[in-house]
Amino acid sequence: MALLMLTSQVLLERIQRNAGVPWQSQRADGFSDGILLGSADTVVTGIVTTFAPTLEVLRRAVASGRNTIICREAPFYSRGERAPLFWRNSPALPKEVTDNDPVCRAKQEFITRNNLVIIRLVENWDARNTDSQLRGLTRALGWERFHAVTTRSVDEYHPQNVCFQLPNSSLNQLAQNLKQRLRIQAVRVIGDPASSVSKVALTHGLLLVADVERILGQPMVDVVIAGDAVEWEAVPYFQDLVTARKAKGLILLGQEASEEPGSGDMAAWLKSFVSEVPIEWIPAGEPFWTLAQAKASRR
Amino acid sequence: MTKGTLSRRRFCQLASSGLLAPTLLRSQAAAHLTAREVVMRIQKNVGVPWRTPTADEFKIGDPDAPITGITTTFMSTLDLLERSAAAGNNFVITHEPTFWSAADVVSDLRDDPLYRHKVNFIEKNKMVVWRFHDHWHARRPSDGIFAGWDRAMGWENYRVKSDNPFSIQYVIPETSFEELARDMQTKLKLRSLRLVGDPKLRVSRVGNSGHYILQCMPQLPKADVLIVFEGREWEAPEYIRDAIAAWEKKGLIQLPHEGGEEAGMDECARWLQTFVSEVPIKFIPSGDPFWIPA
Repeated sequence: MALLMLTSQVLLERIQRNAGVPWQSQRADGFSDGILLGSADTVVTGIVTTFAPTLEVLRRAVASGRNTIICREAPFYSRGERAPLFWRNSPALPKEVTDNDPVCRAKQEFITRNNLVIIRLVENWDARNTDSQLRGLTRALGWERFHAVTTRSVDEYHPQNVCFQLPNSSLNQLAQNLKQRLRIQAVRVIGDPASSVSKVALTHGLLLVADVERILGQPMVDVVIAGDAVEWEAVPYFQDLVTARKAKGLILLGQEASEEPGSGDMAAWLKSFVSEVPIEWIPAGEPFWTLAQAKASRR
Repeated sequence: MTKGTLSRRRFCQLASSGLLAPTLLRSQAAAHLTAREVVMRIQKNVGVPWRTPTADEFKIGDPDAPITGITTTFMSTLDLLERSAAAGNNFVITHEPTFWSAADVVSDLRDDPLYRHKVNFIEKNKMVVWRFHDHWHARRPSDGIFAGWDRAMGWENYRVKSDNPFSIQYVIPETSFEELARDMQTKLKLRSLRLVGDPKLRVSRVGNSGHYILQCMPQLPKADVLIVFEGREWEAPEYIRDAIAAWEKKGLIQLPHEGGEEAGMDECARWLQTFVSEVPIKFIPSGDPFWIPA
């Protein structure tokens, strides 16, 4: 009987043992990895991995009988950082604000009523020698055969191995290709659409100026792909790179689009050491639509 | 022709052949107005006491050198600086940073080839860059940035009185969410709007929530549509899609940062013209940095 009872605490400990890196349990600022909402004693009925625990993802999890959500983003629209980190993001939300907000309340009630457990897994996941976010995104794009491994290390998907040698195309064709492969709309691009490109650095999440400097330290990268970038940091930095003819383009896929395939990789990884309950990846999906899309759909 | 002087005849030859930069031509005519003098006039006219510390400082160039013309813009990108130099304006007043961080910290950039490239361009063209952010937002009687934004949208008469400068509300003639987004794209000359919500939703109450989720939450009950710019994806977009999932009839327009504020620097050029007349003043948009593949 005891063997059948996988609690969220037991699940978390098993994740910690299998992470393959010394577990970091605290961040200097903001939420740490671990149980964000729900009880450590809750018996796990099934696991959903996802980028963001949106209300829609939670409903689908409950509908399929799974009560434990493992995600990158937190449920209440903040990563919990106390102060705006260089003004990039909002300060943490005071409890009286979330307690009085109708959307937060609806979500909290849904979580409580359905006895859900929300587990955050980001820093420890990203600290592994294999960058599963990169691997998931590479596979979602079907780019495995273009991977140019530059860092001689044990793992092909070491976080530094971001370079891909693609067949020549225009920047516009490359952006179109990314849209189609990932089934997304709000792909934002800097650079001349007609530029001929082939050397691509594939990254995920928020791109900082220091990341761009490091990536461009590698020979002849034409284009950097990322999730998002701050519009007074890496965005104008890249505009200036293009003007100075030191790079050809930046393509921003969106946070969700760039990180979500990694949640698929996470589901597969969990299955290697959790066999008691079903495990499913439920993508949160791109939050946005665009006017270009609206126009195309009316044609 | 002696060293350091230009005969009148030679000057006319150069000018007519286009060999003289507009900058040089203007510096002959304009008295000796300096960037520092312009900033002192701004401080006198802005209507609030000058506060320190502030981001509103000279970022590069000699504030005491004569200026040939003034460009106001949202972001002093390299492309913008090139266009400003070509227009003969060597003094750039920018709302946002020049060196890619909120505080224009350059200590980490000394070995960065792009930083050297940008500095060289500015020095070679004897340009001066001054940031006008905090006090333009603090301008009295009204925040210069959002006064300009209202004017660009034609929404001056739609604003609802509010004390919170980053929580502006409008009641506009009822339209669909998609039509509103299209109108905004056209009037603000944008390409990269990102939208959350039903395109057919009827909307008239619009809330400008600035950048942060902390400004979105108090506004949501009072608005059909929120506008944010330079916000992180895990904040307003996730919030609004959950609001919709919780049966609220809401929409979100996420503008590029430039789309939320650049019109305010057009306003700044108009405002400067009321107390600076010695040199030409021009608003040159840095523009939406992005395009979205169709």
